[in-house]
Amino acid sequence: MDKSVQALNNELESNNSQPIQDLQNTQDWQRISPIAILYFLVKFITGILSNIVVLLPMLYLGYDSFMAHPHLFAPVALGLLAVIITSTFLSFYFFQYRLNQDHIEIRSGVISKKYVNLPFAKIQNVKLEQPLYYRPFGFTCLQLDTAGSAKQEAKVVALKIDFAEQLKKEILAQHQSVNSVSTNNHDDTDNNALPHEHVDEVILNTRSIPDLIIHGLTNNRIWIFLGGLAPFFDDFGNYIIEFFQGLGIDLEKVLTISDKPMWQIGLYALTLTFIILLPFTLFSIAGSIITFYNYTLSKVGDRYIRRSGLLTKYEVTMRLARLQMVVRQQDWLDVLLKRINLKFEQSNSGINQFQAGAQNSRIIVPSINSDECLALINDVYPENKMIDIAYQRISKRFLLRNLGFILTPIFLALSILFITIDKANVISAIVPIYSFISLLIYMRWLRWGYAKDDNFIYIRKGYFGVDYYCFPIYKTQQVQFKQSWFQQRHQLCSIRLILAAGAQDIPFILQDDGYQLLDNALYQVESSRQSWM
Amino acid sequence: MQGTVAFTNDSISKTELPLLSQLKFESLSPAYAQANRYIDLFSTLLLISLLYIIQLQSFYPLSQEVINIFRYVIWGVAFIGALSIFYTIFADKRKFYALREQDLSYKSGLVFRKTVSQPMLRIQHVELKRGPIDRRVGLAKLQVFSAGGALHTFEIPGLPLETAETIRQFILDHKDVNHHG
Repeated sequence: MDKSVQALNNELESNNSQPIQDLQNTQDWQRISPIAILYFLVKFITGILSNIVVLLPMLYLGYDSFMAHPHLFAPVALGLLAVIITSTFLSFYFFQYRLNQDHIEIRSGVISKKYVNLPFAKIQNVKLEQPLYYRPFGFTCLQLDTAGSAKQEAKVVALKIDFAEQLKKEILAQHQSVNSVSTNNHDDTDNNALPHEHVDEVILNTRSIPDLIIHGLTNNRIWIFLGGLAPFFDDFGNYIIEFFQGLGIDLEKVLTISDKPMWQIGLYALTLTFIILLPFTLFSIAGSIITFYNYTLSKVGDRYIRRSGLLTKYEVTMRLARLQMVVRQQDWLDVLLKRINLKFEQSNSGINQFQAGAQNSRIIVPSINSDECLALINDVYPENKMIDIAYQRISKRFLLRNLGFILTPIFLALSILFITIDKANVISAIVPIYSFISLLIYMRWLRWGYAKDDNFIYIRKGYFGVDYYCFPIYKTQQVQFKQSWFQQRHQLCSIRLILAAGAQDIPFILQDDGYQLLDNALYQVESSRQSWM
Repeated sequence: MQGTVAFTNDSISKTELPLLSQLKFESLSPAYAQANRYIDLFSTLLLISLLYIIQLQSFYPLSQEVINIFRYVIWGVAFIGALSIFYTIFADKRKFYALREQDLSYKSGLVFRKTVSQPMLRIQHVELKRGPIDRRVGLAKLQVFSAGGALHTFEIPGLPLETAETIRQFILDHKDVNHHG
């Protein structure tokens, strides 16, 4: 267990009236600890590095003229250093915050000034982020997200861990009092039971290193990687051949296929694949361990807390009411290894997709087995039937449309084209592609199903893997009913349910079923009057 | 394969629900379709005349080859322009909106029909947008934002200004009564 959990537990044990009074008194603008200079420095440098693509041509052009004047090295380096130091110091100097009557105000910015005023009640999500270099000093970053736009979010860059924990508690407590006033009377009992009490933190799940290695193996991002590297394959290939020649092995000779028996070629191919895949897999495993090291998912009252991280420690807190959708995800390797990634999706409309660590705002439980998964889903939504409910498949016309009217005509047109231009041998290359895509479409159809009960809509999707989505119907934000002429003739339709966590589609279902799902969704939203967060 | 399991467990019988399939749709302002036709027509004409001017100007004479290509380009632009005018004529006739006590709906599409319904309870804010042409013909576009994100902004174009303002007020009043987000 790490420091922050201990701090929180200590907090919970001691009576909390005294620290809250302390919090109220910080009405003056105050600067954060000088340790934040370190933070701004790192941010400045990563900022430069992430813009390196833009700077590269400039560096390249300037390189020659720069090398022609070696006596400029020292002054330029010094100037650069001075700029970095002053800018980080000024960033620190102008960063101020204050707490005033349940509002947090933050002033920042050296040249373009920024001022954020956030009422505690509007804060959607509190995250603690502890970079490696803060750890010896016991500091942490407090990130506050709102439900609104990305501009509204605020980050207090360096706070003592204890203070950040107090503040977090204060903000979340504020939420509960506001919600119990504004929420309807259905769940009065729940709300009365929760606030201002001593609920111990219950640990729901932890992940060991072997689990994380499995997660790294099954959730490879290397395909994206390989795609990005594709332009360099030629050079890379030549480099490898040279490398092996240096070792005294003539790779081209070894790999000349004609004079070798089949098993030998197969073995070569297998070995080569492994050699290529190994480093990427290792990267993926390392990534998994860096992100999820020391993973704990715990629960205090109605709050779920995820803590993890090897270098930078993340702590994400989510109130149950903020949860929009539960996703149970299995890639094909996960299916083989019987592991599941469980995701608790929150509202993501305000989150900047390009922001580093944006994916950290959802709570993901990596590579758990099905019992653990079931326990967690039932802890969140006790009356859901994600696994047991019978899913209804979408219409076979989905196959007809995609295979019959899109893929096959393209395939036939290409085949005819290649035959007419006398390159019939290309067809032998596109036939496997055609069959594979057909298989994908078939699997897509096979997996795609939906179900509904009184409170939830369930969707099953996937290709070789299988993903289950489950959300309370009243969390729907908007619904869409779509129907083409073709679908209308066969009494079919496609529907889309839009949630704060993204849109969910169910294509090619009976028109009546589609209308009924949407009518019911609207009815539940409008009649229950429950807030979506 | 259909009708086996999914809907047996429903506590609300189908007839009790307000039905999307029985929405009473209203048409947009006729000025909207008209304005769209003119915009299409004039932008096509403008593009064609620009291409002509480039072809005929003598400051920077074009080679014969380019002029030959230009001829096809102009015909192409004219063809696409005519198509888009025909498309808007038919597509604009099939845009409708509907208002119920609790939600707004907007229906559009010529081949791929789409009905978007937005419950008022989930609306975060409302905007009226009026471009220069909208202002000239007295129209407004109503935009409604929910937590579904900017990609799923609900919008009804081509409303007469008073109607748009009435609908906006209706939404705001609705929000005032129920303090929910």
